[in-house]
Amino acid sequence: MPDFSPIDFAVPFFVALVLIEMIWARRRRPESYEPRDTLTSLAFGLGSSVAGLLTGGAVLAMSLWLYQFRLFDFGDEWWSVWWAWPLCFVLDDLGYYVFHRFAHRVRWFWASHVNHHSSQHYNLSTALRQSWTGFFALSFIFRIPLTLLGFHPAMILFVGAFNLIYQFWIHTEAIGRMPRWFEAVMNTPSHHRVHHATNPLYLDRNYAGTFIVWDRMFGTFQAETDSERIRYGIVRQLGTFNLLWSVFHEWVGIAQDMWRAPWRHKLSYLLREPGWTHDGSRETSDMIRARWLQSRGAAAVSEAEKPVPNDNPIAGQEKPA
Amino acid sequence: MGFFAQFLASLAAILVLAWVSHWMELGRGIRIRDAAHAQALADEVVCGFAAEETVIDETGKAALLRDRNGRIVLIKLHGAQFSGRLLGPGSGALLRNDGGRPKLEINPGERLFGTQIIDIERPEDWVHWINAAKAPHHYA
Repeated sequence: MPDFSPIDFAVPFFVALVLIEMIWARRRRPESYEPRDTLTSLAFGLGSSVAGLLTGGAVLAMSLWLYQFRLFDFGDEWWSVWWAWPLCFVLDDLGYYVFHRFAHRVRWFWASHVNHHSSQHYNLSTALRQSWTGFFALSFIFRIPLTLLGFHPAMILFVGAFNLIYQFWIHTEAIGRMPRWFEAVMNTPSHHRVHHATNPLYLDRNYAGTFIVWDRMFGTFQAETDSERIRYGIVRQLGTFNLLWSVFHEWVGIAQDMWRAPWRHKLSYLLREPGWTHDGSRETSDMIRARWLQSRGAAAVSEAEKPVPNDNPIAGQEKPA
Repeated sequence: MGFFAQFLASLAAILVLAWVSHWMELGRGIRIRDAAHAQALADEVVCGFAAEETVIDETGKAALLRDRNGRIVLIKLHGAQFSGRLLGPGSGALLRNDGGRPKLEINPGERLFGTQIIDIERPEDWVHWINAAKAPHHYA
């Protein structure tokens, strides 16, 4: 079993790539970076590493305990079963898809994951904008099925780290589209820009980590369209670079909502989708999309009902189509 | 490398990267261009918001928009992007005198979003409208 952390080795490359992207930004799109935003995103990354170090031991200990109840046994030399590695990677990526979908559709998990989305910029520093409260939100439970299947916790951690490294490069506007075959199978900058967008068309789409095929299979895929200028961030933008507020704002929001809500609705503020309220005073992503589609439909109808201009001599003789 | 050394190295890298983006002058010079731009930004705050009246701050760093139902959206420059709020019961506005010229001071009712001071024509009208606005918050 290799005794190293892939992420530790990747960090210098992350830093170098951020610098390269900044040079690109200076020449092509200066608004894609902002010093305070970059500082906030990177501080998120550092805090997340510290939180991971503090809680990682507990997660590993729990995983090793659960490992004794595994369904399949790869033997004492489990690391030498070569095909277990790619299989573990693919299944871990499926687990990531499930986690990520929950992270957007259940407010409890969203309170932690929102940290990754709260920048209004989309660049490589955004990739490092990771949550501090993932352990508290119990995000690790999504990897338990793999342990119970028989994959050793160390193997799961290892492939999970590679999954995270893969997701770094897709946080950029510097790359347009990859070759068609690649876009069909893999998560790409184009697919992930859609995921980070707040445009109604794009909300809660493309949850994939490495393989976009999961979104295609489960009906959550949305292709990036050239006609839709992407807006990044969250539906209600933070409007501040305050680091602590950026980390904890959704947890505070949950606490306030639960405190104020009638008893029968309290749990829903924890378990329903972000934006849900018992009195309809806010909107979920589904509601926003439905209203947007409705307004688009109305606009299309009113456009179709416009009379053909009278100054068109050909159309003037016929009824509009 | 020990954890503490790794932490310090990461912290140094973070500060260097932030300084480089500052040195390269990234994210500067962003302004609200015109009423259409302000309208598009308000639509991002409240999907479908149709402004009947729009004012843009002299510096282009903020805007106020009002629809036919009396709802008011405040837009402010935030980094190299824009952020906005639908002003509601917790919001308030007053006139302040800056060098003899009255300016509009808006408290959106959210400390971290920050008080905005806006230089526009007829600020007194907006004081009246903002203080009268009783729209519910509208966000997801």
